[in-house]
Amino acid sequence: MRIPDRRFALYLMTPAALFLAVFVAYPLFRLVTDSFFKISPIVGGPRDFVGLDNYVRAFTSDAFIGAGWRTLAYTLMVVTLEFALGLGMALLFTTLGRKSQVWRTMFLYPLMIAPIVAGLLWKFLMIDNFGLLGTLLSQAGILQNPNQIGWLSNPDIVLFSVAIPDIWLTTSFMCLVLFAGLQNIPGDLIEAARLDGARAPSLLFRIILPLLRPVIAVALVVRGIDAARAFDTILIQTNGGPQSASQTMSLLIYQTMIRFGDPGLASAMGTIYLLAMLAIAFVAVTTIWRPGKDT
Amino acid sequence: MSTMESPTIPAQQTTTEPPRTGGGRRRRGVNREGLEAGKRSTRTILWILLAASLVIYGFPFLYLLFTSFKTPIDTIAVPPTILPKVWTLDNYVNALGRGGVPASFINSIQTAVISTLLSLVLAVPAAYGITRYKTRSGRVFIMAALVTRMVPPVAIGIPLASMMASVGLADTPIALSIAHTTISLPLSIWLMSSFFEAVPQDLEEAATVDGCSRLGALWRVVIPVVSGGIAVTAIFAFLASWNEFLFALLMTAVRSQTTPVVIANFQTQFGLDWGSMTALAAVYSIPVILLTLLLQRKIVAGMTLGAVKG
Repeated sequence: MRIPDRRFALYLMTPAALFLAVFVAYPLFRLVTDSFFKISPIVGGPRDFVGLDNYVRAFTSDAFIGAGWRTLAYTLMVVTLEFALGLGMALLFTTLGRKSQVWRTMFLYPLMIAPIVAGLLWKFLMIDNFGLLGTLLSQAGILQNPNQIGWLSNPDIVLFSVAIPDIWLTTSFMCLVLFAGLQNIPGDLIEAARLDGARAPSLLFRIILPLLRPVIAVALVVRGIDAARAFDTILIQTNGGPQSASQTMSLLIYQTMIRFGDPGLASAMGTIYLLAMLAIAFVAVTTIWRPGKDT
Repeated sequence: MSTMESPTIPAQQTTTEPPRTGGGRRRRGVNREGLEAGKRSTRTILWILLAASLVIYGFPFLYLLFTSFKTPIDTIAVPPTILPKVWTLDNYVNALGRGGVPASFINSIQTAVISTLLSLVLAVPAAYGITRYKTRSGRVFIMAALVTRMVPPVAIGIPLASMMASVGLADTPIALSIAHTTISLPLSIWLMSSFFEAVPQDLEEAATVDGCSRLGALWRVVIPVVSGGIAVTAIFAFLASWNEFLFALLMTAVRSQTTPVVIANFQTQFGLDWGSMTALAAVYSIPVILLTLLLQRKIVAGMTLGAVKG
């Protein structure tokens, strides 16, 4: 009468799995198929099978290789800064305890702001001539004049500048997740360690961080994937410029597909991009977090 | 150095009660629980640090608000001022009076609500199945959900749009909310999995011993325990849709256009009208900020109280 647990679990997962199969796996299948064709951007236009030609074009194009490195640099920068800031804030809130609750709530507000709005806002803050950031820094005596740093117009630093809204937006997410994790560490455990003479650094590195490991893993992997797909903030700030210096993979694929009307090449780039992310995430997940296993 | 001084803590010690010097009574500045800082001077420094971070963190949005009340000339004045010289509501009148703006708000709300409900209905049972039974299919599935999170929307947006068109859903909030669910469902499964992970198995075992079916135990015992987690998940799903831009850009034309697309269009269609753009951005952001701040109490309570203390 009673169905086995294994099958019961399967039934619970089926609706979500079906949804993902139809609305993610099938479009992905189309993506991979398209990558082997030369496709006219006009609806109903010709489709010619070209084998691996699109892949060869992708790997031999400087734009693609450049976008790959930029995406990697962008992701590492965003995730590292967010993790450091988010953990700092989470520890700060935890050490201040219950009284910091109102402040904690306020700290969460950027989470609710659309990336497109954040991108616009920071573009407005960093824009040449009437951007407030340069003005404030020069008034504080850090810069000699407000336009000394061309935040969004200097190709050497633009990749960092376009990352700022992303960091600003989602440090709160890191903080929220890590804070929640910190609350689950039994106070008794910390007190026991304190009584045994553990100081703050050893509390952090020997007890807190190891206990938080599953939470940290989830937060880093989730945010890493998001950062590697960043699109809105960069599109609205620089559209990939100047001189493609902020053109990450999502932007390159979008522009190849929409602007340059080459869906075949864009599909090949999308396929490579996805496979690369899979490989990196697989390594990350298997080394720091093993879902569904007890460790 | 100091890590060497600290003795390693045997696992058993986690369950033993530490001696309470204060007799359970909390005195100011000493003997606080767990991670809370002890010394008063330390706490003062930490409070100052916190206040400073929050000022820096909060300032950009305040500047957006101030700018939305400036006159067009003040907006691009050199050097820029923080506060408006003259406060005006013109930007709000201009932004909200523009064709398509009110309709885009309705589209955003519809899309986000449908997408949130869809995500929860699919994610809660799936996450439960994954975490409670730990079957091979569960492991495969959560990996598949992880893979799904890696799919760049730019790659599946075009095929999705043509699928929707072929079933007559082109340019509708339903089509866009399905697209948004491809983003929020994997996230919801992940979040719910971690919330379910925290629920001790004894809880349902007790319920099933008392004669509950597995579904009954899930519905009547486990779901109430993780309701805080469900609220958090719902908020993330709602926000993912409310703030999403790329699918909305690729999949909507006139009828179902959401506000983020309209905001972005300000930049190209009407030159650089920073005033109207900041006004619309403020109107779009403030309701969700307020809503989330209101619900926040519930979330924090759900997270910090925890259903079962170990």
